Amino acid sequence: MKLVTAIIKPFKLDDVKDALKKLGVQGLTVTEAQGFGRQGGHTEVYRGAEYTVDLVPKIRVDVVVDDAIASDIVETIVEAAKTGKIGDGKVWSVSVDEMVRIRTGERGSDAI
Amino acid sequence: MIATIAYSPYPSWLNPGDNTWQLVSATLVGLMSLPGLVVLYGGIVQKKWAINTMLMAFTGFSLVLIVWVLWGYNMGFGNPVGSAGGSGIMHFFRDMVGMPHPITSHYAEQNQAVSGAQTLIPFHYPTATLAYFQFVFAAITPLLFLGSVIGRIKFKAWLLLVPLWCTFIYCVDAFLLWGGGYFASEGAVDYSGGYVIHLSAGVSGFVAAWVLGPRLKRDREHGVPNNLFMAALGAGILWLGWNGFNGGDTFYAGTDAAAAVLNTNVATATALLTWLIMDMGFSKQKKPTLLGAINGMICGLVAITPSAGWVDGYGAIIVGFVASFVVWFAWNFLSKVRPFSKVDDALGVIYTHGIAGLLGGLMVGFLADPGMIEYGASGTASFATGGGGVTPFSVNGLFYGGGFHQLWEQFRAAVWIILFSAIGTFILLQIVKFVCRGLREPDEVLLIGDLAIHDEEVNPRETFAERIGGMGSYDMGDDAEMAERR
Repeated sequence: MKLVTAIIKPFKLDDVKDALKKLGVQGLTVTEAQGFGRQGGHTEVYRGAEYTVDLVPKIRVDVVVDDAIASDIVETIVEAAKTGKIGDGKVWSVSVDEMVRIRTGERGSDAI
Repeated sequence: MIATIAYSPYPSWLNPGDNTWQLVSATLVGLMSLPGLVVLYGGIVQKKWAINTMLMAFTGFSLVLIVWVLWGYNMGFGNPVGSAGGSGIMHFFRDMVGMPHPITSHYAEQNQAVSGAQTLIPFHYPTATLAYFQFVFAAITPLLFLGSVIGRIKFKAWLLLVPLWCTFIYCVDAFLLWGGGYFASEGAVDYSGGYVIHLSAGVSGFVAAWVLGPRLKRDREHGVPNNLFMAALGAGILWLGWNGFNGGDTFYAGTDAAAAVLNTNVATATALLTWLIMDMGFSKQKKPTLLGAINGMICGLVAITPSAGWVDGYGAIIVGFVASFVVWFAWNFLSKVRPFSKVDDALGVIYTHGIAGLLGGLMVGFLADPGMIEYGASGTASFATGGGGVTPFSVNGLFYGGGFHQLWEQFRAAVWIILFSAIGTFILLQIVKFVCRGLREPDEVLLIGDLAIHDEEVNPRETFAERIGGMGSYDMGDDAEMAERR
């Protein structure tokens, strides 16, 4: 099993979610995240005072999948999340040692 | 034969229309503090200071009311401490403040209101009405300069400063300009408190911010507002609440009350748009901002306050434009010059209240239109023109042929307010510092904010909180046992 994690632009979440559903992914976890890469931040002004905000809002998507489709999943996310402009994010995957569905106690691939 | 008894809630001198409007406008002004300033300031401060800021506003309001009914009202609006007469400096001290005594008896509350503030026509409502109306002004003033001292003042120091400041600064200024005191008798005018309230609050806040020292460096660097919805809500309440602020200060529900309300709104709209356009055209980012518009709005409200019923609609537009335009430059550039750059006036009260109030007060000397009749003379065909040897009451500015007299009186009164508020606030803070053993919360408390001072946070999350004690009974056994018992 692999844990695929994607950091994407917030407005790309729908595209990524739909693309993953089409591949048969049955569940994923989404977190609102803040981070910075090459994109840099932005300026905010409150009552004439300037602030720089160098962490930009992103969406983090975590999905655990079978080894066999892990690379397809990564490619699909890349394709769905891509705008071609700076700040599109990253996707990575790591191996997962164990997985348990809490309700039933199923383990491994059955728990996905 | 038994005489028929006719009961009535109205003494012969009472006019229900006037009494109603005065109580309504008082309530509108009260709403400007609670919740207007509470949520405006609570929303503009950073999240860790929201509770502290809001609670200081509620306590300030409460403290002023107790001061007001026990001694403050009569210091501001009662009989002078000195006997009448005298000239020059003696005149000044005899007519500086009213004799303090309570207004809490049944007689004092229900008797017809009398005040040196208005001697042309008797009031048509009881002292309770006038005292409450004047109270809400007294209450909002320390709440305004709260904006200068938030984020470091010791809570206890605030609880002591407010009654002292109300007694020794506000009541004196109110008497001098409104209660028939020296400046009033010399001819200086302040329709609803451009000087007594806003200039005084701006200067006092600035001095207090200087005495207290700045907020923590981290707070100054990270001090972003926590909730712009709340800021917008508070700002809206301020604007419409100002209909009572200026609309109530003729003391009668007449034509000038209506004109004052309209002028107030005209000046405010002009000022809001002026600041917005300045931001769009001349700020570094050239962006229209909500908080900029709110700043402009406040400038307009404050600047029209000293003149609301004495300028006409053209005057109101000029007042709104000039105040917002000048304060915009002060906010963006004067703030970079000493002493402004070295004093941490957290919410910038010196600009939007101090400078705007000063400008508004001086503009009375230029723009007051003698055709704007506050009190007409009786027995004439036209309310506005007077006649029969009786002159209606209005104010005559330089631009309307009134000469320099009014401007000079406005200037003298402004100098007094600035010096008295500055020196008085400085001295009071030394007393508070001595009694409270310091004016600031310790740095380790300042780092945390609300949680350290109040054990409360502005958006608590139930997920992370578990009940361990305190009031009431929460430990009634688990849900299954409770269900069985039912």
